[in-house]
Amino acid sequence: MIKSDERTEGGATPTAEDLEAMGRYNEELVKAGVLLAGEGLLDSSKGARVRFKNGAATVIDGPFAEAKELVAGFWLFDVKSKEEVIEWVKRIPCTTDEVSRVEIRQVFEAEDFVIG
Amino acid sequence: MRFMIIRKADEQTEAGVMPSAELLDAMGRYNEELIKAGVMLDGMGLHPSERGARVELTRTTKTVTDGPFAEAKELIAGYSLWEVDSLEHAIELVKGWPPEDGDVEIEIRRVAEIEDFGDAATPQVREDAEKLRAITDSKAGQA
Repeated sequence: MIKSDERTEGGATPTAEDLEAMGRYNEELVKAGVLLAGEGLLDSSKGARVRFKNGAATVIDGPFAEAKELVAGFWLFDVKSKEEVIEWVKRIPCTTDEVSRVEIRQVFEAEDFVIG
Repeated sequence: MRFMIIRKADEQTEAGVMPSAELLDAMGRYNEELIKAGVMLDGMGLHPSERGARVELTRTTKTVTDGPFAEAKELIAGYSLWEVDSLEHAIELVKGWPPEDGDVEIEIRRVAEIEDFGDAATPQVREDAEKLRAITDSKAGQA
């Protein structure tokens, strides 16, 4: 998951250069058989939150203040180890000097849900 | 339009507490209805962040930090990808989230489509995106 920042939350869309660099990276992932899915998200002003408390739902419209806690996009990778995914993540194209923050999380497989 | 439906983490999910059989049943029924209605495209649950890592990247530096990460409420415990007509429709469907899941927070975020990139979506970018979609769609079908 690539995290949001002031740029993505400000509704800045990627440049043609960014999109082309990302296209090349994604193509490498596809060739390696790693990429299962990938999506970018629009800024949180186009979204909402629903908070449940004791069965009651409260709707909160975006935007949400804490840009760094938000997700700006994600890839779904099929790899053998955490080390392998880290190596792929290190190759995500960075076209500016700004810091990009990426979080890696393991997905549950059906067999993980076997209950005692 | 597509939306990402994000189930936020909490102390329980971060502690690795597995969902009860009751919750799994309820979530299974909820998802089945969404699939029948043509809404749900995909969905994943995530392991606690202790199994993950964070990477900070610049052009020249790559810094890796292993999980776990402290702020459970900022983390994600799972997500679904939905196709619906509007944000309002997504909100209505989220309101039907299984009550067995307790006091949870669900975030709804619009997925970017190629049209959202305006002039930056050059013919090359569009072609790349279409090729990629064809491949990832076929992979999703196999999974």
